[in-house]
Amino acid sequence: MKNLLLPIDEELLPYAYWLCNVKGVGRKTIYHLLTQIKSPKAVYDLSEKELLPFLTERQKKLGLAERLMSSKENWDIQGTYQELTKKHIHFTCLGHVAYPERLANIPDAPYGLYYIGKLPEHDKPSVAIIGARNCSEYGRYMAECFGRELAAAGVQIISGMARGIDGIGQKEALLSGGYSLGVMGCSVDICYPEENRELYNMLCANGGICSEYSLNTEPQNTLFPPRNRIISAFSDIVLVIEAKHRSGTLITVDMALEQGKEVYALPGRVTDPLSDGCNRLIQQGAGIALSPQDMLRTLMENGFKFSGAVSKEKHHSAGKNIFLSDIQSEIMDVLDTSPLSVEIIKQQMLLKHQRNIPIPELINQLMKLSLCGGVRQMGNSYFMKV
Amino acid sequence: MFNSITSGTVHGIRSCLIKVEVDVSQGMPCFQMVGLLGYEIKEARERVKVALKNTGLPLPPMCINVNLSPADMRKEGALFDLPVAVGIMGALGHFPKESTQDTIIIGELGLNGEVKPVKGVLPIVMEAKRQGIKRCILPKENAGEGALVQDIAVIGVGSLSEALMYLSEQSENRDKLIEPLRINAQELLDKSRNDTDIDFADVNGQAALKRAAEIAAAGLHHMLIIGPPGSGKTMVAKRIPSILPPLSLEESMEISSIYSISGALISGGTLMTSRPFISPHHTITKQALVGGGKVPMPGMITLAHRGILFMDEFPEFKRETIDILRQPLEEKQVQIARSSGTYVYPADFMLIAAMNPCPCGYYPDMQKCKCSPYEVHRYLGQVSGPILDRIDICVETNAIQISELTSAVGGKEESSEEIRARVMRARQIQKERFAGTGILFNKDMEAKDIKKYCALGHKEKRLLESFFGKLNLTARSYHRILKVARTIADLSCSEKIEEEHLTEALCYRVADDKYWK
Repeated sequence: MKNLLLPIDEELLPYAYWLCNVKGVGRKTIYHLLTQIKSPKAVYDLSEKELLPFLTERQKKLGLAERLMSSKENWDIQGTYQELTKKHIHFTCLGHVAYPERLANIPDAPYGLYYIGKLPEHDKPSVAIIGARNCSEYGRYMAECFGRELAAAGVQIISGMARGIDGIGQKEALLSGGYSLGVMGCSVDICYPEENRELYNMLCANGGICSEYSLNTEPQNTLFPPRNRIISAFSDIVLVIEAKHRSGTLITVDMALEQGKEVYALPGRVTDPLSDGCNRLIQQGAGIALSPQDMLRTLMENGFKFSGAVSKEKHHSAGKNIFLSDIQSEIMDVLDTSPLSVEIIKQQMLLKHQRNIPIPELINQLMKLSLCGGVRQMGNSYFMKV
Repeated sequence: MFNSITSGTVHGIRSCLIKVEVDVSQGMPCFQMVGLLGYEIKEARERVKVALKNTGLPLPPMCINVNLSPADMRKEGALFDLPVAVGIMGALGHFPKESTQDTIIIGELGLNGEVKPVKGVLPIVMEAKRQGIKRCILPKENAGEGALVQDIAVIGVGSLSEALMYLSEQSENRDKLIEPLRINAQELLDKSRNDTDIDFADVNGQAALKRAAEIAAAGLHHMLIIGPPGSGKTMVAKRIPSILPPLSLEESMEISSIYSISGALISGGTLMTSRPFISPHHTITKQALVGGGKVPMPGMITLAHRGILFMDEFPEFKRETIDILRQPLEEKQVQIARSSGTYVYPADFMLIAAMNPCPCGYYPDMQKCKCSPYEVHRYLGQVSGPILDRIDICVETNAIQISELTSAVGGKEESSEEIRARVMRARQIQKERFAGTGILFNKDMEAKDIKKYCALGHKEKRLLESFFGKLNLTARSYHRILKVARTIADLSCSEKIEEEHLTEALCYRVADDKYWK
């Protein structure tokens, strides 16, 4: 697509911005016009009569020419564009120098792109961390782990800023000093979901937020699947942390495969519906993400260089290196990667190790273990191995 | 022909004596009542008139004036019927005026002359005794309640004629006519102490929840129980009164007075012998919870005084209803302002709130939970931060395993009596520690008291610091944790707060990182 369009100057951006904001004019129409007329300014300067020969019969019928004309009337080319910059929102379009190359490479690239903050750098590796909104504790933990370690190694984390896995991975990436990009299913000036407001602000300050949708576009369910192609376009690897059998996450995976990106999935229990999607992806040939180092290795094979040496592989069956008393190692043996309540742990201790441990003593040991980092307290009475 | 009778009424929760002044004189026949009267008292005129007629003593065609003094206090309730009728008969010379001396009379009249029970007898009789009254004439049904007050003769009468007969009798023969009722309140309390049939031994498993309940009972900490449906939240909460220290006589009389005013005592015997366990339904209004009405009746929180207020399905309550608990939780009383005055009701209760983690009840078990994050967020949002701030102990329950029900593991369950012994020991320690400071329980400690009574050793301080960094705790939670740790230390009779007490207290902190993020 990018080859069909002429490079575009800074002065022409306001015209491209106008073109993106004409009601009823979508990406396909814009490409139809620009492949013939070449410059958005030229489209703006044409009169209705001059425009007609470029339109298809269907477009004529739909009144496209009238629409373009009427939208010109109440559109202040320079003024509206300056308002955009005042809001610290950047605009770029296909052919412009700021338009990301990765995005330009996909067949259905968006024409205009709005963004706040920075866009990902082309020569740095990026990984998309995506997954279920309603994630489990396991998913939360793994998203944090992958987000943190990849970002620390200098990988840019791309995701959709959604509830659950998306937001968790991105937040962790930013917290560890890395870069992350949120691709929105609404316009960039709207924070959706509201509960991720803190993340939104963090992304504005230290990462980036981008969207192909014009300002003031409220989130709609039809807008989310198309944005997934942008997520995968920006990434070298798409990593699925958790997904149900039928999940929106898998749309991103399809897009990634179409775009020739690598897909990794985090394995989970076969009985867990939230890991069903991931396990099936693995069955179909996706990469198995056992640790962030797996991604880093693949990225290195793809020619990326990492400043620090890739650290040695860490296993997630933790707690091995901490000095434990007998009772503590028995407790560690009983604990699982999914949260168990104190009650169950007590029973298991009796069944597995014939140790009838009083509740206060058990809580005491569990809390101490949680301080060492081998155990995590979930809420009040639930504990899990990390 | 003037006559004056002593009667009494309750004003909010305070009781006061009222003089019923009657004057009967020649003149245009009339019957007037004055003295800032409520509707029920204004209507007393008709009841008295007809009741006297049906007793065979029709009112003579004379000018009858009745005044209830003090005249500037608004009076409510139907308890002045009997004193007005008796006063008129006294003014007409049916019995010597001396026979109503040092006597308080209260009661409602039926048209046929029978005397009906009224609310608030106990506090009125207590006030009468305080003011040196020797005898009280009460409705028969209320006599048992009045007789709880020692050293005052309680005469229960069933009808107006019985009352008049009693007063007309020679003073030395009166007690033969109707014998004063005597009840030994202490004996009554001791006798019925152990007759509850709910016991902690009935609860299989749930050891963690039981332990938390024990700590809460020992320090009178407010508690929040979170868990899926059917995990024994209600069952355990209902048994908490059985491990609280038994009521003392003073406490029992205090609670009985409240119940007397709210009219709940009539149906429930004469003396409150066990701690109240009040469990309002979640549709309850603000007024019903804290007290409402033109002259506010005690609300649920006042009925839970010295006992337990159990709020099941906590987030289902209206948010404003929950938030209204803030002041009572802090001050242990509730102030209600009305045009007729400001009423202060005691509300020193232990709050036990139980809730599901989400509308369907299974969050965060994602395999079972069907709620969207938004629904969960909205559900939990019903419980506001300021309320969570006042809860010291939070505990989660898990669905009960079949092995627990069959009791294959764990063996015999502890009975309430054994747990209560430990709770009472811990309370005794608190009593001795706080002697003379005005504090009763660990829950009531302020920041300066915490500094004084919850001093930590070097090792414990370091432990707490490392947890602080890890768990992102706030200064508020710091105080709560220390208070609970103090109680845990008291339970194990340890003077110093040790590491294990701290870690356990940390485990019970309100888990706002999991639910209220």
